[in-house]
Amino acid sequence: MHDPDAELMRRAGAGETSALNEIVRRHAERIVRVGRRMLGDPAEAEDVAQEVFLRVWKQAATWRTGEAKLATWMHRVTLNLCTDRLRRRREMPDPNAGLTLADPAAGAEEGLRAQDRSARVHAALAQLPERQRAAIALCYFEEVSNIEAADAMEVSVEALESLLSRARRTLRARLSDEAGNL
Amino acid sequence: MDAARFEELVAAYGAAPRRWPEAERAAAEAFAETDAGQRMLAEARTLDAALEEARDAAPISLDLRRKMLASAPKPQAPPWRAVAALAACAVFGVALGVGGAQRMGDIRAADAALALMADTGEIY
Repeated sequence: MHDPDAELMRRAGAGETSALNEIVRRHAERIVRVGRRMLGDPAEAEDVAQEVFLRVWKQAATWRTGEAKLATWMHRVTLNLCTDRLRRRREMPDPNAGLTLADPAAGAEEGLRAQDRSARVHAALAQLPERQRAAIALCYFEEVSNIEAADAMEVSVEALESLLSRARRTLRARLSDEAGNL
Repeated sequence: MDAARFEELVAAYGAAPRRWPEAERAAAEAFAETDAGQRMLAEARTLDAALEEARDAAPISLDLRRKMLASAPKPQAPPWRAVAALAACAVFGVALGVGGAQRMGDIRAADAALALMADTGEIY
């Protein structure tokens, strides 16, 4: 298994600034997007992403290649941190927490319609069960391979496919009212 | 690749071949050319298009990048700097020792002179 980040991690472990910057450049946006998708809260997603990078840096000096790709490991850590936060939310519901939808400030009617459509899809995604949402976030939006997504989610490829199929079936049903024949 | 497997693939991964499992992609692309394949793809494309409405394209802030990097390992000093620092310490230590010894010698000479003066009665 070739990990394109293995050499970067070695250099990052020695505190090499260019390697640290490159790891952030390659992974930060994706990790934040997965966090936003899972949590529906940009601020919480940023907190999770910072925690993920803190763990990356702690691992850098002793990173062992051949066990998991850095990207896969980061996805796993991200999902686990999101799961912890979602569990805490269920235990202690926050009335202010929830999906942050697109800002409807734009004036054009078509813009508003597009935002409305987007908000409905966002809402349908947010209502998916957590594992299905994670599968869609990784495989659909981030285009992670099925093997790597399954590895990150610690399930078999068959189980991942099942999660994806159920998610898409649910989304089609929920959005069918919006678009006719989804 | 038969119709049943192609249907499963499209149901899970959608209509874009780039998302299909690498090991099955070529066979699935061949099946996609068939009428049955085209029908299944058309259905999946509708949902794919809807999902694109929810694509998150918001960039992350420079401040967040800074925070991510704030906890990163600090640069290690190159080995030659450690050796140079050690050598500088050694030189300083030797200098301190030599200087101290010279001062001790001066003190001992002064003590001897005082003792001699005391012996000869020049000081009381």
